Amino acid sequence: MTDTVLVIGEPDGAGLAEATLEAVGVAQKVAGPGGVVVGFVGGSDAASRAPAFASAGVGRIVLASDARLDRAPPATLARPAAAAAEGVGASVIVLGGTTFGRDLAGSLAIAFRASAANGVTEAERVPEGVKVRRPVFGGRATEERRLEGGRVVLSVRPHAFPAAHGPGVPLVAEPLPANDVPAVLLAPTRTGIAAVAQGIGPSLTDAAIVVSGGRGVRAPENFHLVDELAASLGAAVGASRAVTDAGWRPASMQVGQTGKTVSPQLYIAVGISGAVQHLIGMVSSRVIVAVNNDPTAPIFRVADYGIAADLFQIVPALTAEIRRVRGI
Amino acid sequence: MEIVVCVKPVPEAESRLRARPDGTALDPEGVKFVLTGYDESAVEQALLLKQEAAGSKVHVVALGPASRTDEVLRASLALGCDTAMAVEGNPASQDDPVAAGRGLAEAIAARGARDLVLFGKQAGDDEEGLVGGAAAEALGIPFVGFVVDLHFDAGTSRLRFGRSVERGQESWESPLPLAVGLQQAWNDPRTATLPAILRSRKAPIARHPSASAAAPTVRSVPIRFALPPPRQGAKMIEFKSPQDAAEKLVRLLREEAKVFP
Amino acid sequence: MVDFSLSSDAESLRDMARKFARTEMAPHAAECDRTSRFPEEIYRKAHALGLMNLNVPSEYGGSGLGLFEECLIVEELAYACGGMATTVIANCLALQPVLLGGSPEQKQRILPPFCATYQIASFCLTEPSTGSDAGAVRTRARRDGEFYVLDGEKAFISNAPHASLYTVFATVDPELRHRGVTAFVVPRSAEGVTPGKDEEKMGHRASATSTVHFEKVRVPVSDRLLGEGDGFSLAMRTLDHTRTPIGALATGIGQAALDHAARYALQRETFGKPIAEHQAIQIKLADMVQEIRAARLLTWFAAWTIDHGGKGSLESAIAKCFASDAAVHAADEAIQTFGGYGYMKEYPVEKLLRDAKLTQIYEGANEIQRTVIARELLRGYT
Repeated sequence: MTDTVLVIGEPDGAGLAEATLEAVGVAQKVAGPGGVVVGFVGGSDAASRAPAFASAGVGRIVLASDARLDRAPPATLARPAAAAAEGVGASVIVLGGTTFGRDLAGSLAIAFRASAANGVTEAERVPEGVKVRRPVFGGRATEERRLEGGRVVLSVRPHAFPAAHGPGVPLVAEPLPANDVPAVLLAPTRTGIAAVAQGIGPSLTDAAIVVSGGRGVRAPENFHLVDELAASLGAAVGASRAVTDAGWRPASMQVGQTGKTVSPQLYIAVGISGAVQHLIGMVSSRVIVAVNNDPTAPIFRVADYGIAADLFQIVPALTAEIRRVRGI
Repeated sequence: MEIVVCVKPVPEAESRLRARPDGTALDPEGVKFVLTGYDESAVEQALLLKQEAAGSKVHVVALGPASRTDEVLRASLALGCDTAMAVEGNPASQDDPVAAGRGLAEAIAARGARDLVLFGKQAGDDEEGLVGGAAAEALGIPFVGFVVDLHFDAGTSRLRFGRSVERGQESWESPLPLAVGLQQAWNDPRTATLPAILRSRKAPIARHPSASAAAPTVRSVPIRFALPPPRQGAKMIEFKSPQDAAEKLVRLLREEAKVFP
Repeated sequence: MVDFSLSSDAESLRDMARKFARTEMAPHAAECDRTSRFPEEIYRKAHALGLMNLNVPSEYGGSGLGLFEECLIVEELAYACGGMATTVIANCLALQPVLLGGSPEQKQRILPPFCATYQIASFCLTEPSTGSDAGAVRTRARRDGEFYVLDGEKAFISNAPHASLYTVFATVDPELRHRGVTAFVVPRSAEGVTPGKDEEKMGHRASATSTVHFEKVRVPVSDRLLGEGDGFSLAMRTLDHTRTPIGALATGIGQAALDHAARYALQRETFGKPIAEHQAIQIKLADMVQEIRAARLLTWFAAWTIDHGGKGSLESAIAKCFASDAAVHAADEAIQTFGGYGYMKEYPVEKLLRDAKLTQIYEGANEIQRTVIARELLRGYT
């Protein structure tokens, strides 16, 4: 295996998705101290995305500036990206495990003649290749895999790694020499996008972060504290059965034995005591944080971090700190 | 339209998960392997499209050891699929999604005509979501995942569908052939009737011979399967003020728990 | 050789019934019990999936199951709700005389239209003053040309308020006692057929039970099953066939009681530990599981015997008698395990005792079962 790693950039807004920057961090680790990370972007505005790579410390970018890719499926990038990786001598390709990255990874593995893993939470170079760890069975267990044979594709689970930030480096962008994508692969066309309605947020069962409120919130007028904390995290909002039974929030938001089961990366329980009925719905979350006035509340037995204090003080402070740290 | 739907036998949701004594993989002892989750939706979607496109046939394919594939294939036949094919694949491909994709592509290509190939978004066990893209690339057809609301317009012979992404829902349209990773069918999965189940027990299952037995050198090898250690109880954060508590928590989440808000 | 494991074919039927029972029936069991509601929408779904006409051969539009498979299904349904399972079993019971005694012409005329759409049938033998002594039925059938005219009253008839078809046992001459009993198939639409009001019952409240009044009901001769006087033995052969699924129904209720009790015992703590660690509770659970497992195996054996051509009177009587007693015992002990909570309607166990109790009474009271058992047993010694 070489120590050159290719990172596939996912266009987002004017630059690159946060998940791409997380992938850069992992790529740097896998490439090792002497290794090189090269970026790759496809699409008619590929060149405009390159600076975002440079700000994350990736100075060499390969561009597939092909307008045909703009509204084609993400999987269409497989052959150009494989060609780019071969062109720069990379044996590992890393991408963010978003819907974009996950759609691309399988096709990329075949095009690049590599082994692959989606949504890894740990990655480390080993003599045989790359060793990864990933959650399985809805987060109820984890597996480790060894990706062997000299060529590896891996996508990283969003929010599991820090985004790479600087130092900014000079940018060298080069075009991909040839971009042969068969017409049949370019046939599906994206005709539009409808944004998720404001205030709804990601779906409870798919969200990477969930913030739930319980009886400790005391009244429906106070639930906005939970909503605001969730918004600052880009999280889904859940509720305990006490809250949905009381009608403060619809039953579809209930997390628990008779509601939804969630296993996000991070679950924050606000004013929830931790009755067995609720725990069943969230206990397989990777990290659990509980905020509750009562230090003997059962939720603290399953949480990883606890703050035994008044949520009306803690939650606004937490929301403010998260906004500060995320720059929003 | 010839519709192929690929399904994977996975442990049923209520299974107690246990690692094998050597810790490398799930202990299959006492575990029931069933058709479930996104695969069940994919079968449902295939059957709904069959209604939309008169004259269509649904061919269900499963890769894995025969003792497991046969049950999910019969369950799919009982739901209304027209034919069933079991692909044994080599032992490596049973655990390696990219190899499984290659194995399925070979079997699908050998089987004959295919206009639409449906996969569930991800398997209920490994949740890799790699098989669909890999099989599509090996077949040389386009692949789109996270698909919802899939419809066929018989007049134009084109598909239109949604794709559920982080930002919202994309709208797409495509000619055939196409491979799709399905997130959600437009209906809840149907239940097989008793008479259909009885008929499915006697229905023939075609068998595609295993590809080469030699393990490929490029592969993904599961080496460890672990359940999380039982939780010890929360680390209670000491703080001087709410702001202090907030700062401490965020720092712990970033640096110690490695969950990055 | 014997084989106590289920084939994968049998498992797939059982799993289908289990899924239906747990997702469609169980969520509504408590509400139907509380309000004594006959959940037609659930029975319609059961019909659409082939779960209503289990014993009718597939060439007539039924599911054509053997008795063993029927028992697997009934146990799963009863696990979710005894009353809903009774509706299904009572429908099969009503069709059994047609299967056993109907001519090919009658079967072809009656069964396919019945099975094709959602319909319910009722078996009408019991009368206000005639239960166990079936030979003493007083409902009268008087011959009038090409018709019989039926007059009389049946009581405690499952499904009656909702049935479109009744299999009725009437006598052409009370002096003949059991030799006068004759079987008829009577549609609800026949003039003079009046089902009564749904009775208020202790349990099985999702099942509907009422009297059926027959007043000058004209039944064509072509709707008589077999000949005059053949009805009693037809009824007995029918009950031979349907006793065994009651064993399965009782087993399902008993298994539910055991599962509730065991799970509760692991959670509830007294004196510093889960009550499952106290010997008093362990002994209860041990007794419950022994009896429920025995009930299941006796039921399976009876079903297997009948499926293999045996008459099965002894085996089915044993299964029904033992399983119903076991279910009552298990439900009683389950309530005791729950303590005060077991007495509250908010918790699911008190319903199980109310449902289990009927299994000792209907389809042949256990007192009769014991005399049948003794009689059949002693035959083997003479």
